[in-house]
Amino acid sequence: MHNAATIAHDHEQHHHHDGDSTDVFGFWLYILTDCILFGCLFATFIVLNDPSMHGPALKSYLDLHDILIETFLLLVSNLTFCLAILSIYKSKLFRAQLWLVLTFILGASFVYMEVTEFAHIAHEGFSWATSGQASSFFTLVGTHGLHVSFGLLWILVMIVQLPILKITHITKRRMTYLGLFWNFLDIVWIFVFTIVYLMGGI
Amino acid sequence: MHHHDLSQPDYGTGQKKLGIYVFGFITCSILTLISFWAVMSETFAKNDILIIIFISAIIQFIVQVVCFLRLNTQTEQGRMNVMSLLFTGVILVAVIAGSLWIMWNLAYFMAH
Repeated sequence: MHNAATIAHDHEQHHHHDGDSTDVFGFWLYILTDCILFGCLFATFIVLNDPSMHGPALKSYLDLHDILIETFLLLVSNLTFCLAILSIYKSKLFRAQLWLVLTFILGASFVYMEVTEFAHIAHEGFSWATSGQASSFFTLVGTHGLHVSFGLLWILVMIVQLPILKITHITKRRMTYLGLFWNFLDIVWIFVFTIVYLMGGI
Repeated sequence: MHHHDLSQPDYGTGQKKLGIYVFGFITCSILTLISFWAVMSETFAKNDILIIIFISAIIQFIVQVVCFLRLNTQTEQGRMNVMSLLFTGVILVAVIAGSLWIMWNLAYFMAH
């Protein structure tokens, strides 16, 4: 009897595990389609920002110091999220929440800096409607910013639901989704700051 | 499947270890600083800067994928994740390189 119960339990866990793995693979495929979306936006940006193009150059409106700070905000938030995942796996719920709150603050500062920068350069005369270069810049960087904003909303939902649902395989799976999403955004940012800001700033 | 701890499913995203995260974070920080320094110090030629920032970006990409996304080929699911990433890479090369090729050709023939 005891053995049967154990086997049933093992089977149950195994079943959960396989189902979860398929779900996470599905989410990973979503992330990859998002990569293709960003790839198209990067292609548009590079084509429209050929040095021979006319119109105001992005370079004169940018302050690379701000971009460096934004980069580190995102990079540190990436680390704090990983620390939250570690706390979840050590069943330390409160500590996980603290790391998530810190991740949220860092991500929110990033979005705040980006929006301020957008408003500033639009006010200076490099706005969405100025040229094809400007449109592709705002679309590419704005799409990334929008993704980060959705990620922030998701982190808030996670902070609220963790104490309600406790640490189960469901919350672990949801943290895995969120982790993939958040790390993916930092990876996209590597290419945004290299191609948009650094190449534009040379 | 046997050497797989069922109480800690990894979903093909590898084991969670603090050391790996910290290593990834420090490596990416250093590379980011090198990239920004190369552009902001204005001591290098334009082509050298391009080479530096692109090599730095590619290494950062690999470090993030290995250390943060924890992609690996240890499990069946890990291999599926890596294969789908490689396939996406093929599509991205087709989209980006293809667009640039077509547009530069177009610009060339309109100018000549």
